[in-house]
Amino acid sequence: MAEKRERYQNRIELLQGTLDLLILQTLQWGPQHGYGISVAIRNRSGELLQVDTGSLYPALHRLEKQKWIKAEWRISENKQRAKFYQLTAAGKKQLTKERSKWSQLSDAIAGVLNPEQR
Amino acid sequence: MRFWRRKKREAELDEELRSHLEMAKQERVEGGDTVDEAERAARREFGNIELVKEVTRGAWGWRCLEEFVEDARYGLRRMRKSPGFTAIAVLTLALGIGANTAIFSLVNGILLVSLPYPNPERLVSVTGAYPKGAIVAMREQVHTMDVGAYDEGQELNLTGLGEPVRLNGTLVSAELFSILGARPELGRTFYPGEDVPGQDNFVILSHALWEQRFGGDASILGRSIELGGVNRLVIGVMPAEFRFPSTKTQVWIPLHNDLRNAVSFWAGDFMPGIGRLRPGSTIQQAQTEIRMFQSHVGALFPWPMPASWNANASAVPLQIGMVADVRARLLILLGAVATVLMIACSNVANLTLSRAATREKEISIRSALGAGRQRITRQLLTESVLQALFGGLLGLAFAKEGLVLLKSVLPTDTPRLAEVHIDWRVLVFTGTLAILTGVVFGLAPALHSARAALTEALKSGGRGTSASVSQRLRSSLAIAQVAFAVLLVIAAGLMIRSFWALSHVDAGFRPEHILTARITPNESFCSDSKRCLTFYRSVLEQVRAFPGTSAAALVNTLPLGGRVSKRSLDVEDHEVPPGEDVPLFWLNVVTPEYFRVMGIRLLSGRGFTDSDVSGALVAVVTAETAQRFWPNQGAVGKHIRLLDDKDWRTIVGVIPDVRAYDLQRNVPDWIGGTAYVPYTPAAALEDRRIPAEMTIAIRTASDDSQIAATLRNSVADLNQEVPVSEVKTMSTVVSEAVSTPASTTVLLVAFAALALVLGTIGIYGVLSFLVSNRTREIGIRMALGAQRGDVLWSVMGEGAKLSLAGIGLGMASAFAVMRALSGELYGVGATDPLTFCGVAILVAVVAMTACYVPARRAMRVDPVVALRHE
Repeated sequence: MAEKRERYQNRIELLQGTLDLLILQTLQWGPQHGYGISVAIRNRSGELLQVDTGSLYPALHRLEKQKWIKAEWRISENKQRAKFYQLTAAGKKQLTKERSKWSQLSDAIAGVLNPEQR
Repeated sequence: MRFWRRKKREAELDEELRSHLEMAKQERVEGGDTVDEAERAARREFGNIELVKEVTRGAWGWRCLEEFVEDARYGLRRMRKSPGFTAIAVLTLALGIGANTAIFSLVNGILLVSLPYPNPERLVSVTGAYPKGAIVAMREQVHTMDVGAYDEGQELNLTGLGEPVRLNGTLVSAELFSILGARPELGRTFYPGEDVPGQDNFVILSHALWEQRFGGDASILGRSIELGGVNRLVIGVMPAEFRFPSTKTQVWIPLHNDLRNAVSFWAGDFMPGIGRLRPGSTIQQAQTEIRMFQSHVGALFPWPMPASWNANASAVPLQIGMVADVRARLLILLGAVATVLMIACSNVANLTLSRAATREKEISIRSALGAGRQRITRQLLTESVLQALFGGLLGLAFAKEGLVLLKSVLPTDTPRLAEVHIDWRVLVFTGTLAILTGVVFGLAPALHSARAALTEALKSGGRGTSASVSQRLRSSLAIAQVAFAVLLVIAAGLMIRSFWALSHVDAGFRPEHILTARITPNESFCSDSKRCLTFYRSVLEQVRAFPGTSAAALVNTLPLGGRVSKRSLDVEDHEVPPGEDVPLFWLNVVTPEYFRVMGIRLLSGRGFTDSDVSGALVAVVTAETAQRFWPNQGAVGKHIRLLDDKDWRTIVGVIPDVRAYDLQRNVPDWIGGTAYVPYTPAAALEDRRIPAEMTIAIRTASDDSQIAATLRNSVADLNQEVPVSEVKTMSTVVSEAVSTPASTTVLLVAFAALALVLGTIGIYGVLSFLVSNRTREIGIRMALGAQRGDVLWSVMGEGAKLSLAGIGLGMASAFAVMRALSGELYGVGATDPLTFCGVAILVAVVAMTACYVPARRAMRVDPVVALRHE
């Protein structure tokens, strides 16, 4: 059991920055519940990114704890009670920061991968 | 609160994940799947729900606490499952922790809690003893602090209010209350200057006295009461919490600083000083100043003072100064209970280890299922700490009862004893001690089990082959236990020896069948010595007529009473050169029958007779005095003379050394000798008056209480104003004289017995475990032809090895540690070889008895059964 947990935790770590960014970005289009977020990420990535629930929920709870998102129980479009997350002001700022960090990172990686284009 | 929030969060997480699953399923149904398929697919995609929950919970950051709660729950379940083991462990720990808590309450209340006065850290005790004159000089000359003084133990008659009573008073300088910062409950305290003749006829009452004698009536303020024959105006009542210098004090009376009376001013009672540091001064400055003061105060006396007087005088914090006498004893007791706790710890550690052996399989399964070593250690430690906490809780209950017992065992004059109670400091102490205890006894077994976990147990199918490492650990613990037990038993043994020596001291008299009582007219009553002597003669006549009384006599101070009158004497053949001190004697004033009543033998010459009362001046001295002044020639026929007397007294007899002051015979080196003189108008003490307060000693054959009542009536018939107090048998006086060492001895013996029992259980446990672990080996040996005797001896030998190692270690450490005890010992050295050897033999015998039981079991091992057992 412990071993499996470790595997999950490793994956979270691997994805950490990126997953946080994806969640924050998804929530920018409006409040969404956990399932909605995973579907949105899958769809927008052209089915490429499958967000594991074992990574998604810890990330959501962690972001909530950091007060970048806040949660609220609402009734979903198909008449179900669900926990909706939405961005806070701090979360919006964080999103800007993460985005610029990401573009720096991808530029940097691109630079490394294609040095001649510089 | 926190717990409920957590429950709610848990439920929310559950619902959140369920809604996720539900939505995923619905989408699939909408996409055309059947409900069943949709459900299965959604679940598959979701993964392990419990695992998701757990990692999500991890994001809450409470994992640690939660694991602790899990461990605690698991621990509790395990404890419930093995009630026997739990009961023994908890009880053992409770005894250890309880004893520590009780003793710590004493240490806390007496040594640690600050004195109940404002800014207590500024209060200073001036060590040494000073007469009023020196106190007045100190008040004027010392600038680092405000100086005052108190003289405890002044007894006074309260008369004029029905039956006369004897009160305990404390003489105080007018500044004492302001120095302490103590406020009265009613009225006021003394103003500066209210301790000089003519302005000092005041008294302050204690709360208890005010309630008992004056019905708590506030109108007592401003009224006069007759104390010691003097009318004093009641100006205040102190609150019940005010107990300075001790609970005994019932009235506070100003010191009578009479400059014109040089004797009382410079040679009256010597008392300690007290001070409050002035702003900006430090205790070091005060110490320097007191030493300087001491170097020149001697010159102020109207007569030369010996250089040894107050030679070590200094200033110490009042808190330390007040409890200096009990400090060492309390610390010894604390050391003893700490040792008991160490033994209890090793005992439970051993128990836990032997159980760990049976738990190895469980632990290895948990380990195989993925529990980390750290996690297992933490879990086992949690269990130990839980046990210790239960032990602590039970120990606290023990301590509460124990404290009541302790207070009754300890001498009543122990300072601050009344203030001792279980407060938050004690609770913190006990809590910390319990947790520490749990860690201490749990750590070794926990680490050991966790290490052993995977490697061995599974391979061996749970038969516990890691036993050899475990056995070594257990053996060391057993050795430690024996060593600790030896240490305590030696301490107790020394105390017993010392106490025995003290109880068998030849005090110089026979205490059996003697009833004593203090008869205490006011001083003024005896300023007319004829009236005084007539009164006492009538008392004696009446008492002799009591049925069941064979003889009666009077003495000014009873042996072992802690007070003796002093008097300077000229001694024949020992002329003192000018400028040197005349020897100071202990002087006892007695009626002729005194030696006979007290059973004091005569070594040579004769005792007093009735004719000595009116005839020539005579005296009796003790053997030591005779030897000191007239070695090898006999004192009878020699002469002494009370200083300032015209006539010499002839020494008519020599008696053995009577323990006048205390049993230990602490005679200060400035006391030259001890003399007895008959109670006549010539028997004047230092204040040039014959003693007014006398103690009657009655040799009785009948019921003491009967005689006590008759005595009170007879004295009342003769004089309404004279109280009779402290009625007790001479045997009681003797036992009171040993009450302090007795209490220390009783407590140490109790702790040592506890230690011995626990230590024995320890050895027994180790050997039993060894035998049950080696049953197979023993079986094989027997099958191969070993004799039963060989088996018995091999097990006994194992036990003997452990015991001897423990005894050796214990004796070595006792040798180093027992010096701490030497201040409490009488007539026996701190490293008394007899005690050391005796204890070694005792512990060896007890330990070997404990070994014999498992050894016999080993001997009876049936090889067939043992091998089939495999």
